[in-house]
Amino acid sequence: MPYLDTYTVPLTAHTAAHLLRRATMGPTRQEIVDFTGLTPAQAVARLSANVSFTASPPPPIDYDETQPTAGQQFLNLPYSTQRRVAFNIFLRYWWVGLMCEQNGNPSILEKLTAFWQNHFIVGQGTIGDYRISYKFLTLLRSKGLGSFRNLMIEITKDPGMLLFQNGNVNQKVSPNENYARELQELFVVGEKNFAGQKNYTEDDVKEAARVLTGWQVFSDVNTFSSGFTAARHDTANKTFSSYYNNTVIQGRFDASAGDSELAELIDMLLRHSESSKHICRKLYRWYVNPNVTQEIENNVISPLASFFASPANNFAIQPVLEKLLSSEIFYQESNVGAIIKSPTEFAIGMVRFFGQEIPDKTTDYVAFRKMMEFVHWNMAGLQLDLLNQPLVFGSIAYYQTGYSKNWINGNALGIRGVQIDKFVHPYIEYKPGKLIGIDFLAWIKSLQPNFSDVANTPSITCELVFEELSKNLFAFDLTAPQKNFLIDTIMMKSLPRSTFTREMTNLRNDPNNINNKNAVMWRGGLVMRYMMRMAEYHIF
Amino acid sequence: MLLPLTLSGMGISSLADDSPLVKSILDTNAAVGDRCLVVIYLNGGNDGLNTVIPLDQYSKYYNLRSNIAIPENQVLKLSGNAETGFHPVMTGMKALYDEGKLGIIHSVSYPNPNQSHVRSTDIWMTGVDANKYSETGWAARYLEGRFPNYPANYPSPAMPDPLAIQIGYVDAVALKGRVQPVSISFEDPSKFHQMMGTLGSVESSGLPCCDAGDLVSFIKQQQILSIGYSAQIKKAADAGQNLAAYPTPVGVNDLSEQLKIVARLIHGGLQSKIYFVEMGGFDTHAAQVGTSTTDGPHALLLKKLSEGISAFQNDLKLQGIEDKVVGMTFSDFGRRANSNLSKGTDHGVAAPMFVFGTGIKRQLVGTNPDLTNDMEPLVPNSSKSQDIKMQIDFRRIYSDILNDWFGNSKSATDAMLFGNYRTTSLFSDTIETVSSGSWPDRAVWSSNRMPGPKDYVKINTGHKVTLGQNITIKNIQVESGAELKFLGKISVTRTG
Repeated sequence: MPYLDTYTVPLTAHTAAHLLRRATMGPTRQEIVDFTGLTPAQAVARLSANVSFTASPPPPIDYDETQPTAGQQFLNLPYSTQRRVAFNIFLRYWWVGLMCEQNGNPSILEKLTAFWQNHFIVGQGTIGDYRISYKFLTLLRSKGLGSFRNLMIEITKDPGMLLFQNGNVNQKVSPNENYARELQELFVVGEKNFAGQKNYTEDDVKEAARVLTGWQVFSDVNTFSSGFTAARHDTANKTFSSYYNNTVIQGRFDASAGDSELAELIDMLLRHSESSKHICRKLYRWYVNPNVTQEIENNVISPLASFFASPANNFAIQPVLEKLLSSEIFYQESNVGAIIKSPTEFAIGMVRFFGQEIPDKTTDYVAFRKMMEFVHWNMAGLQLDLLNQPLVFGSIAYYQTGYSKNWINGNALGIRGVQIDKFVHPYIEYKPGKLIGIDFLAWIKSLQPNFSDVANTPSITCELVFEELSKNLFAFDLTAPQKNFLIDTIMMKSLPRSTFTREMTNLRNDPNNINNKNAVMWRGGLVMRYMMRMAEYHIF
Repeated sequence: MLLPLTLSGMGISSLADDSPLVKSILDTNAAVGDRCLVVIYLNGGNDGLNTVIPLDQYSKYYNLRSNIAIPENQVLKLSGNAETGFHPVMTGMKALYDEGKLGIIHSVSYPNPNQSHVRSTDIWMTGVDANKYSETGWAARYLEGRFPNYPANYPSPAMPDPLAIQIGYVDAVALKGRVQPVSISFEDPSKFHQMMGTLGSVESSGLPCCDAGDLVSFIKQQQILSIGYSAQIKKAADAGQNLAAYPTPVGVNDLSEQLKIVARLIHGGLQSKIYFVEMGGFDTHAAQVGTSTTDGPHALLLKKLSEGISAFQNDLKLQGIEDKVVGMTFSDFGRRANSNLSKGTDHGVAAPMFVFGTGIKRQLVGTNPDLTNDMEPLVPNSSKSQDIKMQIDFRRIYSDILNDWFGNSKSATDAMLFGNYRTTSLFSDTIETVSSGSWPDRAVWSSNRMPGPKDYVKINTGHKVTLGQNITIKNIQVESGAELKFLGKISVTRTG
């Protein structure tokens, strides 16, 4: 069976939607149309090229219109303890906004950044300083597609990471192992290999901590930075176990000791044969299927890891991602719908798929904030708090037995249902006269050709409306019995299907009559609410 | 003598009346079938040495961690236990200890300890050896054994309620069953019913293939069970009442709020057997103490824990259902014995567990860690790191809870825990031998401590115990083929 061979069949709506659901936070209906007919290689190249549209967005601004700094950038202002909580949240709104608004140019950037945000945790709740959180996010967004080696070096020295993992207190007289442990267990090597054997020893953790002694964070109200203090550094040699070929990292004592030893440490970790597999396996679980079998390990993870670590590629991330997203295995039908939507894919996917307007975050920032309040707090209510994850492992749905099933239990389904209701029966105003959610009346009216010409153009049927409302909504086509059930039992409430055509005619004859409007709108809401609560809607 | 006694349809007539199980049943009011367990997970790895303080070795304790050590005169003294004290904020738990309702299991861990949060928690939740893996949780295996064919045949008239309840959003691995979690999770019972009530019937035809099909059927099953159970849960929440005052909650998902819901549901008649609650923040690598070592983040955590458990136990007492409920705490692992320079503690090995409720028969299992001989490595290495060795394998506590609290059969428990774990006598008046040896050697005894005046003692077949000191105990039984050897003229005072 071909695994990493390039899939060459031009994309159908089904496969285009699959690619966009996995490579981005979810497609708009128009994006599915735009990508249909491209070859997978063309489609992935476009998703990569589109990164340039959002690579350097203007920094976040104060989205609170009641504040003196409303509408102004706040990162360059003196640090404000008073506004700390709000600015941390605004930073999240800013990023969620970037995920939502792709302006017709969907790219791989934010989904990959979200991957890194789950791989390296720097929680705002622990850090507090929004400037540090922004720097961390900027690092992930700007370096996440490049060399993993460089990313690891930058991450290790990142002020947020130094604070979150206590690297800033790691010094010769009292090493703090926290970062050294996670560096091996989670970030680079992985705790154990696919067969379940440990990849390093406890002493390796202690030795790595000694290599990393001396890094600190310096901050005041105007600036912050990280740096190396040679006096705090352990200058003795560090000796690693046979897992690392008994590597000795020469102890150094000059001002550049921190950088030199760090580079050697990262190189040593990357030479471990499990490191590239660890990263590739995690990418596979994120983008393709959390269920990694021995067959997949042998035929996908291993060769992808070899490619990742090859001298030609030299640990560049983007080519690995492109290879994966255009591979046969990615498009294999058994991998479609093989993941339960995370709160991100659920909440952002919803506003994207239904073409919800995302107000301009600079010129229309109050409306933008209100929209982001809806999306962001939906996710947080489902236990995904971007940039503020509580534990260093990221979300449990990416590492614990059951993987994406961990997003779902009765409580989570109930909360998702309530959020769907808000979107299907809109009532939250985000700017005067504009509600968050689906405008079924406008949507269904737009499906009717020659709306006003009642005499010469027949009114549309409930089947047609149903086809449009359900098109590409699910990872799979509905079965005929499911469609019939949804139309007859849910949408038409057991009335003859012709009832809908009559209701449509009534609306066309008297479009301002509230009862005529409600009848059509109600049927759209009925069936959409039901469909979005179906189990099938929650896989992708 | 055989005692004909049948409980919950489980014949236990083969047990003698002096067996720990029969005694514990005779001594308590609640039928075994009505009993439940509350599990409190302390997420992050609690620092045991600053929770339960070895007063008998205070200076060694202080030298290990002078920058975070609790001053000796502020350690809470426990009634009848001069060797051990509690962190000064734990006044509620101290009072429970003094009333005999709280027990300390010292130095709990497992062989070949792992210091990764994820893996170590997984080991505790699945109940496996450090080198083995299981897809199911230990508590789920018990409940699936007790309630066969879950979820297919449930809810049933005999078990109309969820097998287990978790307060929170994300299901704990301990409650992960073969196909579904055996628990229903929610944050608020009334809100849960409201959310579920609006879901409507779920169309369930035509599953896709492969992993997608598995996921869809998983979600559908969750929908069906949650809808089915939400009304039962609300009914219990409406019927139950909290009668005690709980501390004012701080933030969402506060431990005492979770325990408050649990008490209300149990009081309201919910028949769920296991309740799982969780409290985060115990991963205290740095600044676990404030300007004074008795305040700061770790003190705040212990305060919440102590206040929560104490209010919960008081509530059960006022509700008149104290004898139905036993609680236990556990954490990822203990922390390093020595502190680091950043006033924190790194990942360690053994730590104390707490058990609470009127059902326990023993307040001390194991001894204070010996800060010389129970250290790993014995001599501090270059980084001065020392961990506390295990005395009690956590699965012995699970085993006692299943056997003696829930009345599970020993053979079924062994199958559920993938091994045969010796009792710690947690639910028994009787300390029995687990090996031959000298009387004062803790390793001889099931409770891992030398028996005292409150204990019945049993020398098991095949064991030889040498006694070279005068002792006071309640009574002693030497089984056939066992031997108690006196080294000289020894007096044995029997009080019971």
